[in-house]
Amino acid sequence: MTRRILIGLAVLFAALVIVLPVAAIVSRAFADGAGAWWAAVSEPETLQAVRLTVITALIVLPLNIVFGLCAAWAIARFRFPGRRALLILIEIPFAVSPIIAGLCFLLVYGAYGPIGGALQPWGVQLMFNLTGIVLVSLFVTCPFVVREVLPVLSVTGEDEEKAALTLGASGWQIFRFVTFPNITWAMVYGAILATARAIGEFGAVAVVSGAIRGQTMTLPLQIELLYNDYNTTGAFAAATLLTALALVTLVLRGLIAAIHPARGATP
Amino acid sequence: MTLDIASISKSYEGTPVLRDVSLTIADGEFVALLGPSGSGKTTLLNVISGLVTPDEGRLTLDGTDITATPAGERRFGMVFQSYALFRHMTVAQNVAFGLRVRTGRDRTSRKSRDARVEELLALIEMESFGDRYPAQLSGGQQQRVAMARALAIDPRLLLLDEPFSALDAQVRQSLRGSVRELQQRVGIASILVTHDQAEAFAVADRVVLMRDGRIEQVGTASDLRERPTTDFVRDFLAS
Repeated sequence: MTRRILIGLAVLFAALVIVLPVAAIVSRAFADGAGAWWAAVSEPETLQAVRLTVITALIVLPLNIVFGLCAAWAIARFRFPGRRALLILIEIPFAVSPIIAGLCFLLVYGAYGPIGGALQPWGVQLMFNLTGIVLVSLFVTCPFVVREVLPVLSVTGEDEEKAALTLGASGWQIFRFVTFPNITWAMVYGAILATARAIGEFGAVAVVSGAIRGQTMTLPLQIELLYNDYNTTGAFAAATLLTALALVTLVLRGLIAAIHPARGATP
Repeated sequence: MTLDIASISKSYEGTPVLRDVSLTIADGEFVALLGPSGSGKTTLLNVISGLVTPDEGRLTLDGTDITATPAGERRFGMVFQSYALFRHMTVAQNVAFGLRVRTGRDRTSRKSRDARVEELLALIEMESFGDRYPAQLSGGQQQRVAMARALAIDPRLLLLDEPFSALDAQVRQSLRGSVRELQQRVGIASILVTHDQAEAFAVADRVVLMRDGRIEQVGTASDLRERPTTDFVRDFLAS
């Protein structure tokens, strides 16, 4: 009996909070027919927003992976002053509201900020363009890879690395042949989560993008813009694209969880 | 190969773990570092391997100072307490690792590597296990693979860090004999770290008894048993 109630509650909750809203997006987007949806989706401004979102994700992803692996390795393998501070610093993007993050970037890298202001005379502008969007996206996504890789690195492989060292392997060979195979899955998992976050980020990007129509609008910004313009079909059609992108990352995540080789077993 | 350890000292955050340790290991000799936990025996082994840098003292191998030589260039084979096998590689890949990472002039061909791996698997009597993964092996088998991997690089010295401690008593006994036999056959100077005196006396030519980062006494089993120089030696061996 208890079991049925619990399952019922969980299903009801999921239906009300997850399934219904997602279904609403799809139903509203297609309310005026598939033709209207297609017309809305192929609007140049919407396509541009999709392109900007994907480009941002593609730039942010490799930087995230490199930073995440370096930080995780440093924290797991070395004792250095500032190590604990670094651990806490990495968590900050999780704790800080994205809109505050955006404002901070504006203060520092904007035309009147210390760095932005210093670059201004050379004609380098960091905010209200792709650079600004990439910078804040990096900020909000930087914890993901580290948080996934660090626990795996902490419990495995230190003796293996020492063994490789005594066998004559160089630092790069140790990373390539010994460390990396142990953390590949954690890294991919973290990268997927980071990508999902980068694609969907609204608050921080809204502050630094400048919201120039057809130029610095990412997909979430474009959706809000269309919605505020009373272009409901356009807004929901664009929302289906964003949802589809998110679903792709979720499916990837599920696939990886399914084929993830159990620890210590044969690949 | 003669290893000369001269006045080695090492401290961690002000706490000395090795104090002025000196010892000479002769060619082909099997030496056991014996002592209670915290006596500094593992640190001494790590200094010899190059994984730990000493604060003071010198290491000399056949007259060449190797104190500052990085671990990877010393060509000392090491067997870890946890075996530290590469879990995502097969037994054959594990054994071949030290040959595979060689670059430049020392590069080895795949064929010569395969031949060497076969030879070593025969030596540890595990010819048919080349395609297995470490997780599919028993503890004793893993230990033998770790031995073969260390021997693959034609080491100038073999370092064994509590290699039997993770095994049950029966396997430990039989492996002790085979490790000693292997060492004799390869004819390589070896250093074994252990806290088990029966193990030390069963395997080693000479036993180095350590306490608080110092060498208490060095000698053969009968030296230590019949002529202990300090009360600690007598008490430790009586326990």
